[in-house]
Amino acid sequence: MSPEPGAYRGVLDRLARAAQAKGQPYNGTIELTARCNLACRMCYVRLPANDAAARAAELSAAQWLEVVAQAQAGGMVFLLITGGEPLLRPDFFELWAPLTRRGLMLTLYTNATLVTESVAERLAAAPPSRIGVTLYGATAATYEAVTGQPDGLERCLAGIERLMRRGLPLVVRSTLSTYNVDELEAMRAIAADFGVPFQSSWYLTGRADRQPSEAAACRLSDSCGLDLEAEDRERRGLPAAEGRRTPPPANAEAFYCAAGQASFVLDPSGAMHVCLDLRQPGARPLEVGFEAAWAATRAFVAAHNELGAECAACDVRAWCGRCPASSMIETGTLTEPVPALCELAKLRAARETAGV
Amino acid sequence: MQRVDEFILQDVGGEAILVPIGQKVVDLNGLIALNATGLFLWEQLAQPREVGELADLLCGEFEVEPAVARNDVLAFTQRLREIGAVIE
Ligand code: SF4
Repeated sequence: MSPEPGAYRGVLDRLARAAQAKGQPYNGTIELTARCNLACRMCYVRLPANDAAARAAELSAAQWLEVVAQAQAGGMVFLLITGGEPLLRPDFFELWAPLTRRGLMLTLYTNATLVTESVAERLAAAPPSRIGVTLYGATAATYEAVTGQPDGLERCLAGIERLMRRGLPLVVRSTLSTYNVDELEAMRAIAADFGVPFQSSWYLTGRADRQPSEAAACRLSDSCGLDLEAEDRERRGLPAAEGRRTPPPANAEAFYCAAGQASFVLDPSGAMHVCLDLRQPGARPLEVGFEAAWAATRAFVAAHNELGAECAACDVRAWCGRCPASSMIETGTLTEPVPALCELAKLRAARETAGV
Repeated sequence: MQRVDEFILQDVGGEAILVPIGQKVVDLNGLIALNATGLFLWEQLAQPREVGELADLLCGEFEVEPAVARNDVLAFTQRLREIGAVIE
């Protein structure tokens, strides 16, 4: 589902490995706000747009600029600004415009429904490397069923059109669920009509704060999800047998991605976490300094990098996407198997072994 | 020719990359990875340089035949011109 041509993707992968080998926090994510103007059923983070307590806990633009300066001195080169909906912040451009002058590979995730002419103009004056726009459906009814916003699709498409007219580099992303999976082709067509890449993901996880979530209820069936994975591999020209999620040797360790080893997340209050799904250990660069916060994050991962006994002994582990974050969300531990993922892994392995 | 200010040199795990800023972000839509020669030449281009001068500097720094160095410089500076990273 990568929008990049193969060669560029290869460069990015090489950089990620090089950074990880050195423990360089090259890849940061700032969750600017957990508040959103939409109310997606399956969202892992959403809070209401007018949540005063959440707003009060958010760092100011000036504080973020201080954190970013420290992070850059510590080795950050890639930065994703996400939410919630980042454009809900009235001071968004106080942060954004200076960020674009710092030599960062900057990505912005937005639902585009708040992209007015003036917002598009300001983004064009200070362009990011990439804008990822989330699309929740291809019809107004579906978009509303997912997000609760009757005119959401119209506003989203108008936002995309405004960004495209200014030549900004877009990717359309979709989170698939039982609500919108029937419109997958139509969403793909919308992206194609705009001439931009389309990415989708299907496995919905619960909320990182472990609050009740509708994710499991509107998650696609395993067989439907696996069909989508197979289709995606075919589309990308990958061999059908590459459905393994965590091929060895990476899966000998519990943290098999760059999280906490070359990447980090800062939540709206400025606390540093391993990733968006694993809200630990929570050290604050503004209080202890970026370097110490990164050291604490790396130490957390290093201290919990062993697989639990069951997963260590599991013969379908290479087909399983479980990680400490998914265990934390579903079981409250870092190591216990996640039953839904066990089922999925068995099915994925069986299909592949059968050559499907 | 000389390099412009809209590309910032960054280090990721010991690899040198050029990250565009401003309108160059949209023009380039990505980043430039520099090998050791590219990094050396980029550093030399902080001040105005001719092709011949860059080739001589390259020979002084790396064990490379003058003709090969000249070709390397021409290829690299051509790429920089294409992305607007140098001005004449
Ligand atoms: S979560 Fe289940 S399928 Fe995945 S590695 Fe652990 S035991 Fe195996």
